[in-house]
Amino acid sequence: MNPKQLACFVLMAFIGIILYIAQIVHQKVTAMRQEAEEADAAAATAETERSTAEIKTAVLKTDTEEIRRFLRAWLPSVEKIQTQQEAEQTIELSLREGGITLVRQRRSEPKASTVNKLIPRSVLTTLTIEEEYAKVLNWLGDIERRLPLARMKTVQVSGGSTARQLKLDVTFETPIFDLNAIAAAKPAAPEKKKS
Amino acid sequence: MTDYICHDFKTPRTDTARRLPSSFRFIPIVFYVAIAGSAYIMTMDYFNFQKAKKLKVEADERRTRIEGERDAFNNEFAELEAESKKAEGVAGWMEGARNIQPIVVKIARAVAAETRLGEVTLERGDEVAANLALGLKVSGVNASTEIMNIENALGQLQYRSFSPQQTKTEDAIEYHSTLVRSSQ
Repeated sequence: MNPKQLACFVLMAFIGIILYIAQIVHQKVTAMRQEAEEADAAAATAETERSTAEIKTAVLKTDTEEIRRFLRAWLPSVEKIQTQQEAEQTIELSLREGGITLVRQRRSEPKASTVNKLIPRSVLTTLTIEEEYAKVLNWLGDIERRLPLARMKTVQVSGGSTARQLKLDVTFETPIFDLNAIAAAKPAAPEKKKS
Repeated sequence: MTDYICHDFKTPRTDTARRLPSSFRFIPIVFYVAIAGSAYIMTMDYFNFQKAKKLKVEADERRTRIEGERDAFNNEFAELEAESKKAEGVAGWMEGARNIQPIVVKIARAVAAETRLGEVTLERGDEVAANLALGLKVSGVNASTEIMNIENALGQLQYRSFSPQQTKTEDAIEYHSTLVRSSQ
């Protein structure tokens, strides 16, 4: 190979190298453009998802406004009784303030539930009192006011030992709510960002 | 120095290397064109690269911001859903925990003085806690009328008697029915 041919070869090799570098640079730019387009598309998708989430949230907020207001109104009563002792103290106080002296029977027992997660425990109270007509009925109203969440399961009113007296057999269940049992579900994890 | 020697130096020499074909003259032209073209393309690519990079960064930032907002909405949705479930649970319980004392009072007041109300029993249904099984023992001359009065009085509390049953024994009546709230 003579020097002229060698010079031509070197020159052509230069041309090849330059074109190769230019091609690589161009490919990188194309790849970057592609990434930019994908990022833009991902942003558009996220925007759609955001809009959907916003609409769903707004609809749910409107639809459940009434029932959530109901919960907020009852929350103090729910939080008031959280132990069996608190329920028993309330009954005790009610009997004392109601002037009920003749308590023939009184029994409180805890009741556990595995089905209802919101009410895992409750207190089942059975009570038999004998007093004047007004006192008995006033006490029944008072206990329902003090324990508004209590569910009267059985109420039996019959004649007492004297004509002026009434005998009240009552069985009621005081729920101990565990509102933390229902936790907010975690939202789906966002899509992994493509690198 | 002689003329001969000088003349000898000026004698034309044959080329040491052979001439290249004439088409090879385009190689330098192609080289310059390649240099110029590549410089242009690479310059444009550089600017395009910077532009695409900027767009990508902006799009990523936008996506991150939007995803943050979306997650905030999703969290709010989940919290609302959980709160609603709690509220539904409490409301479900409360439906079966309506006060009974007004019913007892209403029954007691509905009965006339000459009629004896022997026993009043109210029991919550096992399946539907909102329903109440009412049992009465009424004795007196106008026991049947009193039963009607009691039913009317309970109607004022939005309870209606469902499948009432009466058992008569001399002047006493045993009455059983299921009280269902009209608003259900």
